[in-house]
Parts: sequence; C-alpha cells; structure tokens
Amino acid sequence: MTAVTAVTDHTDQADRPGDDDGRDDARVREEDDRVPGRDSAHPRDGDDGHARVRADGDAAASPEEGASGDGGAAGARPGSGAATDPPHTTDAAGVTDTADSPGGEGAADAGRGTDGGNGGPEAAQAPEAPEESEGGAWDDGLIARRVAVGAEGHVRPVPETAADDRPPVVTPLAYDGPLRSRLDALRELVGLSRARLDNRTLAEAGRILEEAAARRRLSGQHTVVAIAGATGSGKSQLFNALAGVAISETGVRRPTTSAPIACSWSDGAATLIDRLGIPGRLRRRPLQSPEAEAQLRGLVLVDLPDHDSAAVQHRAQVDRVLALVDAVIWVVDPEKYADAVLHERYLRPMAGHAEVTFVVLNQVDRLPGEAAHQVLDDLRRLLDEDGIALGEYGEPGATVLAVSALSGDGIGELREALGHFVAERGAAARRISADVDAAAARLWPVYANQRQAGLTEEARDEFADRLAEAVGASAAGEAAEREWRRHANRACGTPWLRLWRWCQDRCDPPTGRMSVRSQADEEATARQRVEQAVRTVADEAAAGLPGAWAQAVREAAVRGAQGLSEALDELAVRAGTPAGRPPRPGWWPAAVLAQASMTILQVVGGLWLLGQIVGVLSPNLGVPVLLMVIGIVGGPAVEWACRMAVRGPARRYGLEAERRLREAASGCGRARVLDPVAAELLRYREVREQYVRVMGVGAGTG
Amino acid sequence: MTLDVRPQLLDALSALRDRVAAARFPLPLAGAPRARANRDELLAQLDDYLVPRLRDPEAPLLAVIGGSTGAGKSTLVNSLVGRRVSEAGVLRPTTRTPVLVCHPEDHHWFSGMRVLPDLTRVWVPQQDAGDESLLPGDEGPRTLRVETVDTLPRGLALLDAPDVDSLLADNRVLAAELICAADIWVMVTTAARYADAVPWHLLRTAKEHDATLVTVLDRVPHQVLSEVSRQYGALLTKAGLGEVPRFTVPELPESAWGGGLLPATAVAPLRAWLVQQAQDPAARRHAMARTAHGALDSLRTRMPELAGAAAAQYAAALRLTAAVDGAYDSEYARVRGRLQAGAVLAGGALKRWRSYPLDCTAGELLDALSESLAALLLCAVSAADERVDDAWRREPAAGAPGLTDRAPEEESAEQRIGVAVRRWRRVVEEHAEEEVRGLEKGVAPDAEAVAALVATALLGGRRARAAGEGLAERIGAQGALRLRDKAGRLLTDYLDKTLRAERERRLAPLDALDVHPEPQAELIAALSVLQKER
Repeated sequence: MTAVTAVTDHTDQADRPGDDDGRDDARVREEDDRVPGRDSAHPRDGDDGHARVRADGDAAASPEEGASGDGGAAGARPGSGAATDPPHTTDAAGVTDTADSPGGEGAADAGRGTDGGNGGPEAAQAPEAPEESEGGAWDDGLIARRVAVGAEGHVRPVPETAADDRPPVVTPLAYDGPLRSRLDALRELVGLSRARLDNRTLAEAGRILEEAAARRRLSGQHTVVAIAGATGSGKSQLFNALAGVAISETGVRRPTTSAPIACSWSDGAATLIDRLGIPGRLRRRPLQSPEAEAQLRGLVLVDLPDHDSAAVQHRAQVDRVLALVDAVIWVVDPEKYADAVLHERYLRPMAGHAEVTFVVLNQVDRLPGEAAHQVLDDLRRLLDEDGIALGEYGEPGATVLAVSALSGDGIGELREALGHFVAERGAAARRISADVDAAAARLWPVYANQRQAGLTEEARDEFADRLAEAVGASAAGEAAEREWRRHANRACGTPWLRLWRWCQDRCDPPTGRMSVRSQADEEATARQRVEQAVRTVADEAAAGLPGAWAQAVREAAVRGAQGLSEALDELAVRAGTPAGRPPRPGWWPAAVLAQASMTILQVVGGLWLLGQIVGVLSPNLGVPVLLMVIGIVGGPAVEWACRMAVRGPARRYGLEAERRLREAASGCGRARVLDPVAAELLRYREVREQYVRVMGVGAGTG
Repeated sequence: MTLDVRPQLLDALSALRDRVAAARFPLPLAGAPRARANRDELLAQLDDYLVPRLRDPEAPLLAVIGGSTGAGKSTLVNSLVGRRVSEAGVLRPTTRTPVLVCHPEDHHWFSGMRVLPDLTRVWVPQQDAGDESLLPGDEGPRTLRVETVDTLPRGLALLDAPDVDSLLADNRVLAAELICAADIWVMVTTAARYADAVPWHLLRTAKEHDATLVTVLDRVPHQVLSEVSRQYGALLTKAGLGEVPRFTVPELPESAWGGGLLPATAVAPLRAWLVQQAQDPAARRHAMARTAHGALDSLRTRMPELAGAAAAQYAAALRLTAAVDGAYDSEYARVRGRLQAGAVLAGGALKRWRSYPLDCTAGELLDALSESLAALLLCAVSAADERVDDAWRREPAAGAPGLTDRAPEEESAEQRIGVAVRRWRRVVEEHAEEEVRGLEKGVAPDAEAVAALVATALLGGRRARAAGEGLAERIGAQGALRLRDKAGRLLTDYLDKTLRAERERRLAPLDALDVHPEPQAELIAALSVLQKER
C-alpha cells in the first residue's frame, strides 16, 4: 500500500490550489483498488489495470525522476505554449476511460490537476535548460572534439512495481529457441567469468540479461517503438501524425519535448510502459478509428526528448529509454541528417540493431523537388558508412523512408511499414538478440584467443626436459654409466693392473670422490631452472589467451610451483640412489673365470718353466712358453673383450638411472604444475564454448 | 583598448610558440588526447592568428563563418558577397574545402603563407557564377580556396569554414582551426538548431576567449521569427552573451537549400555591421584588439594546462622507469644472494662435480657450470621482465606502442646471456693458464682442471669447499687465492654488465619516447616572459 500512499503524498505536495475533489477521488480509488487488488480474479482487467498502473507508475517514478521528470514535463507545457491545447489532451486520455467507473474519471482528473498545478510555478524551467552544465567532456575549452567522447551510458534502474501482485493479463513474450539458448549461454558466461573479470566489463552483459528477463515477463503482443531524433527534427509532429491527434506538444521553442510520452494502440501495455518509467499522466491513446486500430494494433509509441540539445538531462532520458524499447524510429531532417552527434553517438554503436531501426527523413516538404531524393540517397550512404544494413530488396535491415509530418506525405507508407513490423511481433526478440550480439562483440577482446590455446605435447615434453635438467638427470645418468663401467673394467681387469691401481689409490686419493656419498646434498635441484621451466610452460600455455585468463593460467602455474623444488630435492635423493648393488650381467662370472684361468695359465706356464730351469721337470720348452704366451696375451685380450662387452650394459644402466630420475621429476611437475594449468585452460575452454554459443555460431546451425 | 605591439612581445610570443610546438604527449594517459588536441589548437591559433595579427596589425580583418552542418554558412557567405563563391547544397557536409573571400587588392595578404600556413592555397580563376565546375574536385584534405570579389570592401575577408560538428573528423578539426584564426567569429545557427549543444559549446568557447563575436540566426520561418528570435536572445542573455550582436535571417523559399543567393536586404544588417567593423578605424581597432587580447589572456589558462599535462607525462614516465629499475634491482640482489649460496652448483652441475674427476672431465664440469650460471642469469632476467610487465599492467601510460607489445628480438636474452657466460669462462681459463705457466714444469697441473676448480670454488658456495682445497693443493694457497679473486671480480663484472644491458634494452623504447621534465618548466617560463612583455 505504500505505493498508493505515495500517490496521495505526491498530489499533496503538488500544491494544487484547493482541489479537494481530486484528492478525494484519489482516496476513492485507493479504496476501490485495494479490494479487487487482493483477489486474483480481477473483474475489469484491462481498464482498471491501466488506471492502477498509472497511479503506481506515477508514484514509483516521482522519487526516481525528481526534477527532471516532473519539472521537465511541466516545463514542456507552459502557459504561454504555442500549439498546445490541454482540453484536447484530456479528451484523448478520457476516451479510454469514459466507459469506466467513476474511479477512472477521477484518475483522469487527478492527472490533469497535477499537470496544471506543476505547470504553473515551474514553467520557467525550460529556458534555463541550455545553461545546465554540460557533462564533463563538452565543457573543457576545446573547440574540436570527438562527439563520442564521454557518451553517458548510465542506465537508471527501472521501477518494477506492481508487476508481481497483479495477475498477468497479457501473454508474456516468448523467445525462440536459438535466442533462449544464447541468453542462457550469456548467463552461464557471466557466471563463469565473475571470478576472472571485473564487474565493469560484465556490467553490460548483466544489464542485457536483466532487460531480457524483464521484457520476457511483459507483453509479447506489443511492440514498443521509440521516436528519437535531434531537436527540431519533428519527432513530436511525427508522433502526432501517427497517432492522429495532437498528443505531444510541438513548437518552435527548442527543445520542445522534455519527457518521454507514450501512446498505446491497444490495451495491456501498461506494464511495458511502466518499465520505461513514464508516469501515468504522460500516457495517451491515439484517435479511435477502426482501421488505424487494426493496422497498428499492439504498437506502443514513445516520443522521446532530443538527444543533442544543450539540456543534458534530455540526453540521459533518451539513453535510458533507448536501452529499453523494442525498436527505434530515428527522425532526421534535411538540415541535421549528417550531424556527427547522431551518427557517432547513436547510429554507429547501434549498427547491429539495424533490423529494429527505422530512419525517417522528415520535413521533405522543405526540400525542392529533386533534392529530396538526393538527400535521401546521401542519408542512405551515410547509414551505410555507419555500418547499418539497409532493408532494401527484401533483405533484413533498417527501413529508410522520407516523410513529411506536416503535409502527410509518406505517413501512410510509414504506418504500413510499422503495421507490418508490429504484426510480426518479433521486434522485442530481435532487439534482445541484437543486444546480445553487441555485448558479445564488446566482450570479444576478453574472451577471444589469438591462437589455439592449450598445452601442446611439445610444451609438456619441454617442461619435463627442463625439470630433468634441473635435477641433473642426464649428468646423473652419465655418471652412473661411467661408474658402472669403471667397476666392471676393474672387475674384469688383469690382477696385475688391479694391484697397480690399488697402490696408486692408496697413495693419491682423488678430490671429488672422497665426498661422494658422504652427505645428502641440500638443495640439489637447480632452483633457477625449475623457476624458468615453470615460467616458460606458463607463458607457453597462456600465449594467445586474453589478459585475464592468461593471468589466471600464470597464477595457477606459480601456485603449483611452490614447493616443487623441495619435492624434487627429496625425489632426487630417493630416485637417485639405486636399490642395492648395481646388477651384473650373467657372463660376468665367466669373464672373471676366463681372466682367472688366463692368470692361472700364466702362473702354470711360469712354474713349468721354472721347474725346467731348476731341473725338476723334463725340458720341454714349447708347451710352457705357449701356455705363458696364451696367459699373457689372453689376459689383456679378455680384459679388452670385457671392456667392449660392458659398454652396452653400462649404457643401459646409465640410461635407466637417467630415466628413473627424469620420470620422477616429470611426474612431480605434471602433478603440481601441468595439471592445474590444464584445469585452468579447460575452464577457459568452457567459457569460450559458452561465448561461442552466445555469438550464436552453434545455435545458428542447430 | 588598443593593440600596441612591441618587438619584445613578438619575440616572447614566437619563443612561446616554439615551446608549444616542441611539447609532446606520447604516453597514453587519460588526459593525453585532450592535451594533444589542446596543443594543436593552441599552436594553430598562434600560427594562424596571434603571431600574424600582432606582426601585421594593418592586415584585413578576417571574419570566419562557423556553425553546424546545414546552418547555411555557405549561402550566407555567397549572399554577403553577392556571388556564388562557396558551394552550397542540400547534401551534408557541403563545404569540405574552406573558401576565403577578399577584395582583389587584399589578395596578397592571404595568398602567401602569412596566415593558415599549413593549408595549401588553391587558386580558382574568375568564373561565371553558377558554373558547375565551381565545385572543387579532389584537392586533398587541407587546402584553402582563395576567391576575390570587388563587392567586398577592402580590409575585410570572409572565410567559409566547414561544419564544426561534421561527420568527418578532419573537417571538425579544420573548422576549429579556422575559427581560431578569426578576428571576428561569426556563429551561424538556425531556428531548428539554436538549442543544440555543439554551437553552444562554441559560443561558450568564444566567450572564454573573449573574441569579437557575432551570432546569426539563420533559416527562421517568417511566422515564428519574432518568437524564436526572442527565445534565442533569452538563451544568449542567460549564457552571459547578451551584448553580442545578433542578426536574424529569415528562411526564404527562393534561396533555401542551396538554391542561390539570399536577397541583399536579408543580409544587409549583418553586412553593414561587418563593413563598419572593417572600415571604421576605431571599431576595427577595437574588434582586433579585443580578439587578440582575448587570445593572449586565454594563454594564461591554456599554457598551465599544457604544462600540467607535460608534467603528468613526465611523472608517468618516471613511474614506468622506476618500475623497471625496482624490478631489476631486486632481481640483481636475488642473483647475488643465490651466487653466494652456491645455487649454480646444483642439478646437473652438482652431479658432475660429485663424479669429478673419476667419471667426469674438467671440461664437462666447466660446461655444466657455465650452463647453470647462464640459467641463473636468464631466470633473473625473465623474472625481472615479468615483474615489470606486472607493474606496467597497472599503468595506463604503458599502453604506448612498443612498450609492452615488444617486437620479438632477433637475438633472445638467452643467446645474449649465453655469449656473456662463455666469454667469462674463456677469460677464467686464460687466467688459469697464466697461473699454471708460472709454476714449475714438473708439478704443473692441467690448466683446464685448475679453471674448473676455480669456477666450482667460486660458484659452489659452501658445498664446494673441497674444490678450494684441491685448488690450493695444486697451485698453492697464494695462487689459489689470487686466481679466485680475479675470477670473482670478473664474475661480478659480467653479472653487472649483463643485467644492466638487459635493463637498458627494456628501457630503450621508453627512452625513445623522449619524455623529459623540461617542457613543463619551459612552457611556464615562456608564459611568464610573455606576461612580462605585455
């Protein structure tokens, strides 16, 4: 009930000079509404709903709009106004309510009373408008400037009152499959990106989702079309020409219209107009005529203030309403059709909305003969340069028409085009679709990757190689190989050689070998190499990703790399020391035996010779010498053969040691760094898929 | 109010002009585009108006007709001179090449490069009015057509400027430049436009600059003439421009939309006013002095603004430099610490050292050590780069081309560091050879082994104490100490040199932008000299 109370408060504050009837009527209405408003079976759905909404809309809008809504509206209907006729206006409003209860009339009365009351004291506001301070960028002492700089894009929250507690009397809008899936994808996308992107980037997408949801709840039978244009282009003239009555005030005083005015061709559009924040007293009905009714059924026309006058609050109103309507008729005139403000601030950014755009060249009556065609062609050229597809030859795109609201030329054509447009009932969905397109295009740099994202096999292998290098796998393998070979050679060497080596070892201990297993090394892993490996692999994975995601990938890698070096240290100790003695090949005993037998042959040959010399044995020079020669030659020969034969196993042993270390290191790196990075990349790919769905590529084929 | 021009003032003004011309705003800060536009505009005004005007006070008055597209500027100029000199039409924007109209005897003032020096003059010989070939072809973007007509009195020139709100950005800039060059600003607006934001903005600028201003309300339909005129007057008064001469030109069917010329009576008051300004010496002096003084006065706010922008540029450049310095300094400290701790002797190098000399040669040990050292340096450099990138990402100024999107170099940091480390190794080997040569032939150890031991002792920190002992055993404690010191100094040298070179490389694009603290001070100094000379 607060809303209704606000209405009475509002009327009170409007310092109406002793108009008790109006206030009583408002109270009556309050009583009247309270009863049926509770139960869902509403007896007079259409009209009463309309009236109620008016009250609600008014109440809700008044705190929001403040001076700009009320004062501006009041300023637009000055006592000295040139072409206004208030009785007419009231009639137009009254027409809808005549068949209604007294409550309806009361509302109309109250509306008029409020208007009049406001109009008196505040009529002097309009001339002040140009003096209002300009929004920042335009007041800076520069003569040349870009018009697009500082285009205010703020959107005020729209009061969504009374939408819930009233039974839906209208068929809500239904979006078709592809659009629905695109909207779902956009919602998903926004949800997935919340943690990665700042709110400012996502604000536009969030707003579009909200608007789409809000529009969906409202009537699908109606199409809201705004008439926008520069000051003096004849927006209100055109509005009146379409409505058939002088609803919106026209005049030579610039700017004329200061608050949006809505005109609805059929019932049930109240909530739609609520959404635009247009108060009840600025809602009108067109001239009742069956054929107009049939042609434009479902049309809600909104007359907007100008977008280019020195009154900045007008621009704010225009920007706000343009974000909410289903379609826009841009009214241009021969004098202003090439204004930079129009093209740079509105038409170019809304180029994607071509299908829900009409561009109407008004005031062609001011142009002599041929010139109208020339100007129209030039206008088409400019629109084409703006990137707006023109709906010629049956292709989808903007409709461009030349009309004269004053003489009526072309109005019929426009009416027909609008009629077709409204009858299709597709404008709202197309507008939302274009909004989604625009949002997706704007989000392109945040989601698009320059090249195939992801970790390639080469990158993974390279990372493993770098980690292996950090733990010194290849050096360790080589060392193991050489050590094993050294031992093997020693084992298979001739005893004399071994003896000599042993002596040498005793008198000259080598430097490095002393400390071989003496202590477990601290920080055996090269920290810098690990750090560099992680950085390289993160850069590799993040290459081509848009900023926020690249950052996320890098952070995941860095987080994973914490403690990686310590883990590698431990692991190197474990994997680096082979369990037990190094394995020996099966032929080794045979080799040792052969070597031993060679030695025995030498000894036997020697002893035999010695025995002959001493005379114990019969002299036989040939055999012992042969034995000894075999022993002497065979010992090194066996040693040499072993040396050759040991190469393969030694190599295998070394490679095995290297592989063990390398695999342990790469396993550790995979678990700690590559997997988190891959997860992050997967998350990006998911988002990217949603983005592609939003772009409508997948939906188009489905 | 008169205009007395002393040579000192002119000198001060040209000095100031040079300072303004020298000011650059290369870093993409929030205020930079604005400052650049301000600078261009100021430079244009100095070149096109202030300097030539003060130098030649007797030159003809230049009245520039400016306004929105479709306001009927060209028609107005044509009507004022009584001949089609500037093309008018229904297609917007109509005037793409500005047209200057003057008396034939004044032609020499404008044919040279005295005013508007960066516009190429196009001379179109006298033609019959209404000739279609009057329409200029493709003359390039920055040209000025000079027309002479007898109907215009001497001492007055009219300039038909392009639209101030043109769809073509170049046109907008040109229009602003031309308006800046005017002695008399003639602002044209129409009944449909008089509340537009853009012309009001121009009017306010004119007021700020205190230029001699006159407004024309064009294309007013007869039936609403008085009301619109009254409204416009009220708006002007509100904006504090109430005393500005105001002329109203009605919309006439025979002339509207570029058809032809307005009847002389329609523009007679404006013409009379302009002629009076040009011919009455007192009025002329007043008009001239007012605009010139206004422009000079406006310098008092515009120059500090430029100086402020220059200071902001320098501050941003300092911040960028400081980020680089900070990153490299901290990385340098980290590398030093790691060298002390023996981080080089880890991984492969450590394994080599453990198996030296039985299973590993001195050459291999040296190889492993230099590789490890190169890896340490590369790691430091890329960490510093990463840190710089991080810091710069938060700086809007880092968006300047070439700062963050560095072109891939033909020689990577890895290669450069590799070269430096190899050089260090060679020098250490040479020193070792020298040391060994001094020893007796019999006991002299292998020079490569000595070099490997020195490198290990130097780079291995505590865990390579054995290397130091082994070295002392081989070449004596004295020699070992000497060699180690030499190699240590070398290492520090090469480390410093490498990191400094990398830092310089990183800063090179920023240095190339040439952002210095001087412009700020110079701009202010030039302004104060000018103030003193006035």
